[in-house]
Order: sequence, then structure tokens, then C-alpha cells
Amino acid sequence: MVKYDKALLVKCANNLMFDMSDEQYEVLLKEFDVLTKQMELLGEIDGLENVSPMTFPFDIYTDYLRDDVEEPSLSKDDILRNAKDVVDGQIKLPKVVG
Amino acid sequence: MSNYIGKTIEELHELLVSKKVTPLELAKEVIEEIKRENTNAIETLAEKEALEFASSLNEVEEDNVFWGIPFVAKDNFATKDILTTASSDILKDYIPCFDATVIAKLKEKKAVLIAKTTLDELAMGGTGTTGHKGITYNPYDPTHTYKIGGSSCGSASIVAQGIVPFSLGSDTGDSVRKPASYAGLVGMKPSWGRISRYGLFPFAPSLDHVAYFTRTVKDAALVLNVLAGEDLSHDATSSINAVPDYLKDLEKSLNGKRIAYIKELNESIKDQPILDGMNKIKDIFVSLGASVEEVSIDLRLLAAIYPTYMIISCAEATSNNANLDGIKFGPRIGEEKTYQEVMMKARTAGFSELIKRRFVIGSYSLFKDNQEELFLRAQKIRRIVVNKVNEILSSYDAIVTPCGGIIRNPFISNDNISDKLDQGTMAIENHLAMGNFAGLPSISIPMGLDDGFPFDVNIMTKAFTESECFNIAYALESKLDLKNIYAKKVGE
Amino acid sequence: MNFEAIIGIEIHVEMKTKSKMFSSGKVSFGEEPNTCVRPLDMAFPGTMPIVNKQAVINAIRVSNALNMKIDHELWFDRKNYFYSDLPKGFQITQQARPIGSKGYVDIKLNDGSSKRIHIERLHMEEDTCMQHHMADCTLVDYNRAGTPLVEIVSEPEIRSGEEAAKYVDAIRSIVVFTEVSDGKMEEGSLRCDVNVSIRPCGSDKYGTKVEVKNLNSIANVQRAIDYEVSRQAKLLLKGIPVEQETRRFDEIKKETVMMRKKTDAVDYKYFTEPNIIPIRLSDKFVQDAIDTCPELASEKYERYISLGLSEDEANQMLQDLSMNRYFDECVKIDSSKAKLFWNWINGDILAYLNKNNLSINQFKVSPDNLLSLIIMLEKGELSFNQGRKVFENMVIDNASAIKIADELGLKQNSNVDEIQSLVDSVIDSFPQSVVDYKNGKDRAVGFLVGQIMKASKGKVNPQIANKLVVESLNKR
Repeated sequence: MVKYDKALLVKCANNLMFDMSDEQYEVLLKEFDVLTKQMELLGEIDGLENVSPMTFPFDIYTDYLRDDVEEPSLSKDDILRNAKDVVDGQIKLPKVVG
Repeated sequence: MSNYIGKTIEELHELLVSKKVTPLELAKEVIEEIKRENTNAIETLAEKEALEFASSLNEVEEDNVFWGIPFVAKDNFATKDILTTASSDILKDYIPCFDATVIAKLKEKKAVLIAKTTLDELAMGGTGTTGHKGITYNPYDPTHTYKIGGSSCGSASIVAQGIVPFSLGSDTGDSVRKPASYAGLVGMKPSWGRISRYGLFPFAPSLDHVAYFTRTVKDAALVLNVLAGEDLSHDATSSINAVPDYLKDLEKSLNGKRIAYIKELNESIKDQPILDGMNKIKDIFVSLGASVEEVSIDLRLLAAIYPTYMIISCAEATSNNANLDGIKFGPRIGEEKTYQEVMMKARTAGFSELIKRRFVIGSYSLFKDNQEELFLRAQKIRRIVVNKVNEILSSYDAIVTPCGGIIRNPFISNDNISDKLDQGTMAIENHLAMGNFAGLPSISIPMGLDDGFPFDVNIMTKAFTESECFNIAYALESKLDLKNIYAKKVGE
Repeated sequence: MNFEAIIGIEIHVEMKTKSKMFSSGKVSFGEEPNTCVRPLDMAFPGTMPIVNKQAVINAIRVSNALNMKIDHELWFDRKNYFYSDLPKGFQITQQARPIGSKGYVDIKLNDGSSKRIHIERLHMEEDTCMQHHMADCTLVDYNRAGTPLVEIVSEPEIRSGEEAAKYVDAIRSIVVFTEVSDGKMEEGSLRCDVNVSIRPCGSDKYGTKVEVKNLNSIANVQRAIDYEVSRQAKLLLKGIPVEQETRRFDEIKKETVMMRKKTDAVDYKYFTEPNIIPIRLSDKFVQDAIDTCPELASEKYERYISLGLSEDEANQMLQDLSMNRYFDECVKIDSSKAKLFWNWINGDILAYLNKNNLSINQFKVSPDNLLSLIIMLEKGELSFNQGRKVFENMVIDNASAIKIADELGLKQNSNVDEIQSLVDSVIDSFPQSVVDYKNGKDRAVGFLVGQIMKASKGKVNPQIANKLVVESLNKR
């Protein structure tokens, strides 16, 4: 497991595109201590080695696939009404480089 | 006092059909009540839309019990042209261009959406305190000392005040069934896939369920009759299993039914009235011809549910909410020189601290080098829990548990992440998430009142046996004298 | 020191389905910005992905053409990262279980040898938004968001620019002929990322990998790799280590230029997409997808050879998909005339199209009318020059050759009895010619045939007339 410290949490938060205050990182560090300890204990639960990870609540399958049919586009108004900066029917961003 | 407070769907339907009240009058009255309510349960009052829709309902539909029935919905269901914020600043001015499937279905049945209700921010919390509008209070507690719980706090409060007969919520860990307990309501979470999630803002899709509050079990069955069903063109996880009429088995006898109590949970109950309630219910079951046996689940496994839930739900949540980047919707703070700044500023200002912490936890547990010990381990424990629950349900018709171990939950101590909590508390306060892990039907119904403060019992049955779940709940309800309770009535 | 190049190629192919990979939004090319967008494409909260059946069929077909093992259970994963062109903040892809795995394609090299390139995986995923970079800002267009892609990842078995070019061409041919994509590199519907490293010959250690992007033609794939291999070799010979970086090919300078240094590998935090429950494909579904797959170029090639085309002719007919389609329609109505169709298409038809600046799609003549012309010529009912005249008319109104020849009065008379009586009467009119012929002057035959053609106003089949004249003279 990757060792965590405040610097790692800051990096992790910034990778998630937000920042927090110093005090908030301190609270988070404590939370990490508790949670990782709990998860470590969970490593001792019986039968862990014998099961596969479960994503869905039941082992279900479907054979459903969507027919390749197009539906009408949303109106430009619907597409753009929640965007804060719109130019020429497109969402405007500061120039993206690279 | 208003004429229509505390009426069930059935009762309101009779009044509407006999023209003692019109949908418009009813909507107006509900709107007035909502304006007066003081639990901070409302995000957006859809007054104009509700009145417009209600006034279009002129032809009485006798066969449609939802015709003209007012309801409210948690503010994480997309409602076309009506503000939908998920009680988060990052969506504080977001207006969806489509209706969630459940909203559309109710609209088609001509039920009238009156308001959008508060929640813990992005549904990620169980306290009813973390939404951007602040704390939502419990109508049973005028002192504002005790939680109504969350995350579906606003929807719980409005139904608990008797203002509307039902409300939509969502349940990822216990977000309907736990507040149902603190608010003395029926809280129903059907099987995963039974109700389409299209338009429900995702928290953790593998655990998320559309769920709802009513004040009677029969109303709960009526609501599921409308909401259940496949929706493959919008939600590929919606089930194609046939939808039965959920009223049909309501009154079936419980004779011969086998009920499981979980020993370790009952032993973890803190408040005596809850234990008394469980004993009383046991007697009722026996009197109805059912048998009740205690089964055992390793307390360590029960206590593992919460951290397991945290890891899985935070991991999924950090990804689901990555779309909230301030580009297509959400705030633009200004002065951004790069697209990264657009995202950073929007997300830093848009999410509260709690949400950010959960995202970091989720992201960290998904690191390539951490997955084995965190995310995948949690998914394995999920399977062990699910296997255990299903094993019990292979010998029993239902698992019946108290929704929690304490009746009144004060606002202090917001988090479950504390190493001071003992295993028993961890287990009993979070075990309802078993129903999310395994996608099972799970219903909370009032079990008792302690000095005017309600608490619920929960019933879980095999996947897609909602009828069975309603049947057991209905039988209990009819013996408990707690049917259709709401704050004012209990107060009197 | 001699170096060996180690090259692996990732190819992204945009599918030409009607709707997107996970939404019912229209797959668009060159439409007005933000006019082909469904709620999922904008990542509006509460929207969920629904897998497109045709995209799955396409992926099966390409996997099959690449001799891959096809997974009958579909699982999707989320690849999590933030970027301005990624609406959801993650891309849905198939990281853990690609639909196709462990395949290969055989390529033919210029020296006539062939080489097998193994393919690691083929998976389905979705495209990002289109960003239009302006002078002072970037505008985001969501039309492309969610367009279905297949990504094909080769093993690092390619050893030269030439091999790489042949490999990409082979993949392109497959996606084009299976009608999965138009395969246009210059328009970005087939995109190549190439990983190049070198090592001393005989070494089994890998060198530092450089990724080259922005290769918009097959020729540029080869140029970029050749340049990159020699660049890296020069560095190593000077004792300078190759740096791990991403470069792009500068078309004007014809060299690769640095885009960015690679820092630590990005952790994409993959996990199973929880909104798509695993999809089980029946054996029948997979088999049907394969059985109904449009014919591959390699299959067509074999068929053309069996119909009598030369290797060059067969290859030539696989260069242009529209031309190929026309040829196949022709062959379908009469495969015995394949060679004659080929001659016409590559002769007069191509000349006509070029002269008038038309594409074969605008060509009016239907295969059955072309066939009628070929048959009349074969039977000798038209002379070659008459045939040309008929063709000139056919391109205008697409009528049958018989009808056009009739209208123009061009029909050549090949009726032996009629021609015989004409021969007899002409010979009778020129008795001196009989004497000349008997005296060994063969010119007499030509003279008589000329007289016959004149008398018939050119409508008599000259070969038949010639034959009958000789026979008649011998009898006299």
C-alpha cells in the first residue's frame, strides 16, 4: 500500500481538482489512520482468500444490447443552459495547451 | 389545522374521487403547509409548476390512486426545468433538461410534485446536517437536539409532518431506512434494479437504490406498483423481472413463516424500548403462526460493514462526481487562466470539506498499488457479507432487525469514523447496508414510540420478493397500532 | 554498432455506427458544433451508459478478422482522469477484459516475404469531445463525445518503419472492408500512437520508449519511425541516453519533435463500471456477427484470383472501396466476365470518371447495362468502335446496350446467311478479283471485304465477312 502523509493527501486532492485547508488535511489524516487500521483488521476476516471481489449486488448477467438507433439531439439551449461561458454555441474555456 | 394533513394516498384518493377536494386545492394547501414548515426540509418549492399541473387535472381518474396526489422528491432526482442541487453548492444553479424515470412515471400517473427536499450533500452522509442549506431537523423533536438522520432528511421530514403521503428518497447505505426510523415512517428500499435509477444523481451505483417514504405499508405497496419496472433504454441495470401487483399478497397469512433475528445485533441494542419492541414483535410473529429464531453472524463481520461500505461508496463516488467540474454546469468562479483552474476553483468552492475528504479516501483506495488492500478487499468483504445474508435467507423468509441501537441520536458526533466506537455500535448502527450490499428488499416500519419519539424495525427478504416483504410488514403494522403516525398526531 | 528497433502500435478506430457507444446520440462527422448530443454525452448527473449492439458486432468482426480470441462476456471499466475534453471525468473502456485478445495479422513486405504481427488486445471505448483551439481560448464541441472506438494494441514485434506502415495498412484495410470505419487517417477516424525504442542487435533488454503521436497518414507512420529510430541511434552512439517522452511528427520538417517529457505513470484508478452489468453474448450472436461480416480484402483477393484476375489486377481492385463495390456488383451478376468487367472499369470507365471529375458513386451505368455492352461486343454484334459509341451514350441515360445500339442504328450484322448473300453479289460484281485471288493476289480479299462494308454501310461484321469471302473464293 502507498504510504500516506500530508503531502500525499495534498497531491491526491489536487489530482481530484480541489484543495483543502491545513486543518482539513489534519482531520483527513486522522480519518485515514482509523480507516486504514479498520481495513487492516478486515484482512483477518475468515474466508477472504477464497472469494472474488463483488461489484454487483448479485451475480447477474444480461443479454441486452441497445439497438443502434439515433435519437434527436438535445437542443442547443438544453446543452448550454447550465454552462457559464458560452461562445458561438460552444462552451468556452481558457486556451487548452498540450 | 389543515384538513388534509396526515392523510394516506388511499384516503386522499377517496376525497379526490368524491370531489371533496380538487387536486388544485390540495396542492395549494400542501404548498401553504410547506411554506410554514420549520425543519429546513425544502430545497426548492415548485409552486408555479405544481399549481399549473394540478389545475390541469380536471377529469377524475377513479382507477388511478395517484391522480392529484401531492408528493415531494429528494433533490438528487433530475426534474426537468426545476432546479436540482443535490444540496451541494457545486450544483446550486443546475437545471436538468430531463426528468428522472421515477419523476416521469409519477407525472404520467398525475401525481403532483410539490417540492424538492434537502439531503446530506450529494447524498453522502447519514446525519441530515451536511447539505448546503444546513441542518434539517426532526419534526418529532421541537428542541432540535436529535437528528432525523440522512441522507434523505428533507423527504423524511415532510412525510413525518403529514404534509404529503409519500416522498422519494435514495438509499445507498441506509439513507431512507434509517431516517424512516428516526421519523416513525415506513421506508422502503426494493431490490437493486427493481426501480430505474435513471435521473438519480449517482453516489455509488453498485449500492444506490431509489427508495421512498410513506406512512403505511399499503401506501408503500401502491408506490412500488408505480415505480417498479424495467427501463432498459435508460438504465441497463434495471431488472426485466415481471412486476407483480404488490397489493395482492399484502394480507396473506404469516402462518409457517420463518423469521431470523440476528443475535449479535440484538445484543448490541443500547436503549431498552428497542429491545422491548423486538421482543414484542417476536410475540406478534408467534401469535400469527410464524416462528422466530436467533441466528448468528460474526460480530467482526457485522462491524466490517461500515468500513467496507465507506471504501466502496467513496471509491465509486469520487468517480461519479468527476463530472462536476464547472465546465458544463456548476460555478465558474472567475479569472481562470487554464482549464485546470476552472476545475480547481469550481470544485474547491463547490464541495464541502466532508465531501472532499470522502473523495480523497475513495481515490486513495483505488490507487493501483492500494486496490488489493482497500478497494478489492472491501469488495471481497462485501461478497462474504452477501453470502452470509443469502445463506440465512435460504433457510428463513426474512431477517428482522432493529434499525439502530439508540432511539435519539444527538447532533454531536457526526462521524462514524472514530476508533472510539465499539464493534457492537459499529454493527448495529450500520448493518442496514447489508441490504445494499446484497440488493435486497428492505423495509423499515414503526416499531415503537418512546415518550413520543419513534423508532423502526427493519425487514429484509430475498431479492425480488418485495411482495413477501410487504406481507410481513403489513401483518406487523396491523398489530402494532403505529399505522400512519406523524409528528402532530403523536404530539397530541 | 547496429541497433534493432522495437515498435508497438496502438490504433484507435472511430466506428461509423449510427449512434454512440453508450448513448443514442448521432455519430457525426463535420456537423455544426453541439447538434448531436444526448444527456449522457454531456455527463448530466443521473445519466447512464447503454451499450450499442452494432458497436459490439463491429468489435467482434474486427477481432475475428484479426484472428483473436473473442470474450463472450462483456465487462467495462472506468478510466478516471480529469481533462477538458472528458465530460464525465472518466472514460468507459475495457481494461480488465478486452473483447478481443491474442490475435495476429500477416503483413506482406516489399521484398515479397511476409511477417506475422501478434496483437495483444482489442477493446471498445468511447471518444472524447472535440476542442477547437482559438487564438485566446478553447471552444468545446460535444458532438464527438461518446463516439464508439475500437482500440487495437499490437505486441512490440514491429521492427521497422516499413513493417509499421504495412501493419497499419492491414488494420485499416480490415476496418474499412468490414465497414466498421472509413479508416481516414487524415480526418482522425483512424489514429496511431507508436511506441519506439531501440537496442543493440542481439540484446534482449528493452531500451527507453518514446511515444510518437499525430501521425495522419501511413506514409508518415513510416517516416516518423525511420526518423525516430535514427535519432535514437545517433543519441546512443554519442553516449546520450534516450529520454522517455512523447513526441509528435512535424509534417513540414519531416521529423519528430518533443511534446512533453513523461513524468511518473498516471494512475487511472480503473474499476469495473458499476452501471453496466456484465453482458453475456450467446454463441449464436457472436457467430452471426462473424457470418454476416462484409468480405475482407484478403478474402476478396482470393476470390478475384479464382475468377481469373492476375495478382496485380486483384490488388488494384482493392484500392478503392467504392470502385470495389461496383466491381463486386458486376461480378455478382456474371462472374465469368470478371476479367472483362475489370478491363472496362480500369479502362473506359476510369478514363470517363477522371475526365469528368466524377467518383464511381456518381457513375450512372448499372452493372447489368454494362454487362449487356460486354455481351454485344463478345458476340460481335458491335465493333469495338461502335461499343465505345454505345458507352458514350450509356453514361448519360443508363439504357441497355441493345437499346442504344438500336437507336443509333449501330448494330453490327453478324447473320451468316445475310452476309453470304451480300458476299455472293459483291463477288459477282467484281469478277476480276476472283482471277486475281486465284493468281495468288491475297489483296483481292481485302478489296472485296471493303466493298462489302461499303455496300452494308459498315454494319456487317468484318471478321465474318472476311471468312465468308475467303470460303467463297476458294469454292469458285
